[in-house]
Amino acid sequence: MASEESEAEMTASSTPAGGRAVMYSKAREAGVVAGLYIGSVALALIMSAALVAVTGGSWREVFSALLDGSLRAPGRWGDTLGVAVPLIFVGVGTVIGGRAGLINIGQEGQLTFGAAVAMYAGLNLFGPGPFALVAMLLIGLAAGAFWAGIAGVLLYWRRVPEVLTTLLLVTVAAQVVGFGLQRPWILLAPIEGRSSRNIVSEQLDPSRRIGRIELFGNEFPISVFFALAFVIVVAVVLGRTVWGFKLRMLGRSARTAQRAGVSEWRYGMAGLLLSGGFAGLAGSVMVAGGDFGNFRLVPGFAVNIGFDGLLVALVARQRPLLVVPLALVFAGLRTGSGFLAATGVEREITQIVQSLLVLALLVPPAILFIRERRRALAAMTART
Amino acid sequence: MNDTLDAAGAGADPAPAIHLRGIDKRFGAIVACDKVELRLQRGRIHGILGENGAGKSTLMKIVIGLVTPDGGEVHIDGARQFIRDPLDAARHGIGMVHQHFSLVEALTVWENVILGEGGSLDRKAARQRVMDISEHYGLGVDPDARVADLPAGVRQRVEIIKCLRRDPDIIIFDEPTSVLTPAESEQLFAVLRTAVRDENKAVALISHKLDEVLHSTDEITIMRAGSVVAHLETSEATAAGLARAMVGREVSLRSEAAALGLVEEIEALAEHHTDESSDAVPALSMADVVVRGSDGSMALDGLTLEVPAGTIVGVAGVEGNGQAALTEVLSSLRPIAEGTIEVAGKPVVTGRAGAMARAGVAVIPADRHDSGCVLDMTVAENLFLIDIERVANMGFYEQAGINRKAQELIDEFEIQTSGPGAPFFTLSGGNQQRVVLARELSADPHVLLADQPTHGLDVGAIEYISDRLRKVADDGVGVLLISSELEELLHLADNIVVLYRGRIVGQMARDEVDLERLGMLMGGATEVGAR
Repeated sequence: MASEESEAEMTASSTPAGGRAVMYSKAREAGVVAGLYIGSVALALIMSAALVAVTGGSWREVFSALLDGSLRAPGRWGDTLGVAVPLIFVGVGTVIGGRAGLINIGQEGQLTFGAAVAMYAGLNLFGPGPFALVAMLLIGLAAGAFWAGIAGVLLYWRRVPEVLTTLLLVTVAAQVVGFGLQRPWILLAPIEGRSSRNIVSEQLDPSRRIGRIELFGNEFPISVFFALAFVIVVAVVLGRTVWGFKLRMLGRSARTAQRAGVSEWRYGMAGLLLSGGFAGLAGSVMVAGGDFGNFRLVPGFAVNIGFDGLLVALVARQRPLLVVPLALVFAGLRTGSGFLAATGVEREITQIVQSLLVLALLVPPAILFIRERRRALAAMTART
Repeated sequence: MNDTLDAAGAGADPAPAIHLRGIDKRFGAIVACDKVELRLQRGRIHGILGENGAGKSTLMKIVIGLVTPDGGEVHIDGARQFIRDPLDAARHGIGMVHQHFSLVEALTVWENVILGEGGSLDRKAARQRVMDISEHYGLGVDPDARVADLPAGVRQRVEIIKCLRRDPDIIIFDEPTSVLTPAESEQLFAVLRTAVRDENKAVALISHKLDEVLHSTDEITIMRAGSVVAHLETSEATAAGLARAMVGREVSLRSEAAALGLVEEIEALAEHHTDESSDAVPALSMADVVVRGSDGSMALDGLTLEVPAGTIVGVAGVEGNGQAALTEVLSSLRPIAEGTIEVAGKPVVTGRAGAMARAGVAVIPADRHDSGCVLDMTVAENLFLIDIERVANMGFYEQAGINRKAQELIDEFEIQTSGPGAPFFTLSGGNQQRVVLARELSADPHVLLADQPTHGLDVGAIEYISDRLRKVADDGVGVLLISSELEELLHLADNIVVLYRGRIVGQMARDEVDLERLGMLMGGATEVGAR
């Protein structure tokens, strides 16, 4: 009894000091991160402004147009929210794969395939609207998972690097979906519903579309809330469950994980399937959501949302909760660009401006990553 | 043939071959060398003794040009020199035999020896040169042998030939005996003596083994924490005195003696404490285990081994004779091709993730960074890697909760850390090893496999780990101790088996250990007999 108390005292007295030190170093770390981002974005803005000014445009107008297009003009922030939804799904899925140490860069393909299969299901399923909608979203998720699963089987069965297979499967997905879109018995709409040269699918029945809400003159799909809920669930699963712990162990040291009972096949495969599944789900909500196209599938439907979602995850550095604000930023860049044409600044220039802003977000994570590696390496070599 | 010995020895001290004056070197917050003074005289072997991390390797890297000092001067034959890189050092007649082999296994000896030289390839001359050196120093190396086919002792000699081919005046040996059998290291020192006596060379021998330094050097410099703490003639040195200077306090414990390589003292101290009941089920039993490497070679070739509960079985052997495969199999990292493995009487599937750990096989791997920890996770998380379920509730866990439970282990195993939430990589090697030990032991294992558990640790940590191993065995766990340090095995093991080319070639109880026979078995007894 007495010894227990004294032990409790010892731990109690030792933790606050340690806790304070940890808190202090965390605060400093956060300051460094914030400083890096502010500096990097500021640099990108200055370079962009200079570029626009040198080529004869008005940089004020350019930035103002970006803000108008993404937030300020009537109805625009609703559009930004709608674009952010698939970015969130792709981003959060990529974070899961990343935790398992996998480099899935084929979200664009998983999204394309998921969208196409979801569309096929949405056009052909029987049953009342809401059930068919849920079913088609789940089928789209499964299709995305299947597409990533091909890379997973190749990886764990034959050690083919997933970086290569996932990326190459993007092209294959585009071809497969293109094939389906040209066959009337698969996805191609009957000739009455389209001009003869158009390759499009039929339109999704209104009863099977994702509902939309209007708020302060802005309209957005209710999938926004689901996306947020998913992010929270993923954050909890990754950070608080035994499964998330094991996934992280596998990602950081595959051999230690194998020894400790984390099978690469089971956990790595699950990570890859989930990351592909979320990309497939992103494609499905794009099809059924109405923010991308007119509820029809067309070639090139994915419009780089898969790649943008990958960037979101890269910047979020495996932290699921960060995916949300970053998806909003990337969505804002997308919707904002719609207003750039009106500024009269040449399209090439505005595209460079956008790219600079994206780069500004990507550079700090890269620097932080290198810094972490160096620190860990230095700690290791200094100790041995 | 040569009378230079007398000439050199009798002559008034000329300028030393190498004179280091006030050498300083820091790596971040760590002081590797602090105002170090060192003289290497011609015709003498100078032992540089110190624990791991005392700064001796850094000092020699400065001499060879691999590290630039922050302060101080390097004088060669009385003239101040700046050594920019190893080639520069070679021009000054300095050669080094490194601790780790830098040989290309697929090439022959003579090809390895000339590797890195410019100009055209003269096969005949190169072979001749290897043969000349080999004969001159009595090294007995065949220039046409493929390095892959050579045992560690011969490879070490190839390294020496590589160094000698430039005919250096000053030779530095960095822990040359760590991969050699006792007989091989004896032979090596005989060769060294010849070179020093006949050719008036200056030799520096870096070591952390007292025994070795006492037997083969003329003078000794002892380093501790980056500084020179003592310099004396070997004839005036005693093992106890050297140990005291090296560690900085009195050395009395057996484990420390083992760490420092005092074989005789260990043998004198050896005592009985085994009370095994022979009919009990062994903690670990491996029968006819075969493991094939990816290239089809036999990593384990019919290995049969039993570890009774409550005893320590030491596995002696030169590195590369199957130790790695043995550890991998018992870590579920590798499946076996043939044979059976039973833990506490129950067969265990090999190669399936976590199967060995679940069956009750705890492992301290030779390289804990390879499969014993996750550097980027916290100390607390590393303490529960194999049994996170133990601190979880319905599949959920809380960081604060595991930190609290980790604190108990941190206190019990005296792990020095800023807290359970600190990243694992911030710990020192000794404390990292304690975390591994704490985790593996808290899982209540039947078997503990310790593969080189004290390698690279300082004396304090070695002492701690050794005591723990002993205690674990006393608690009824079967301990399998793999070590390339005979002293460690002699000190800890109740039974010693010898691993050679993937099979157990000999076995002896501790109290009937015959060092000579042990050494012969380690070198492949049949080979020794044929020689």
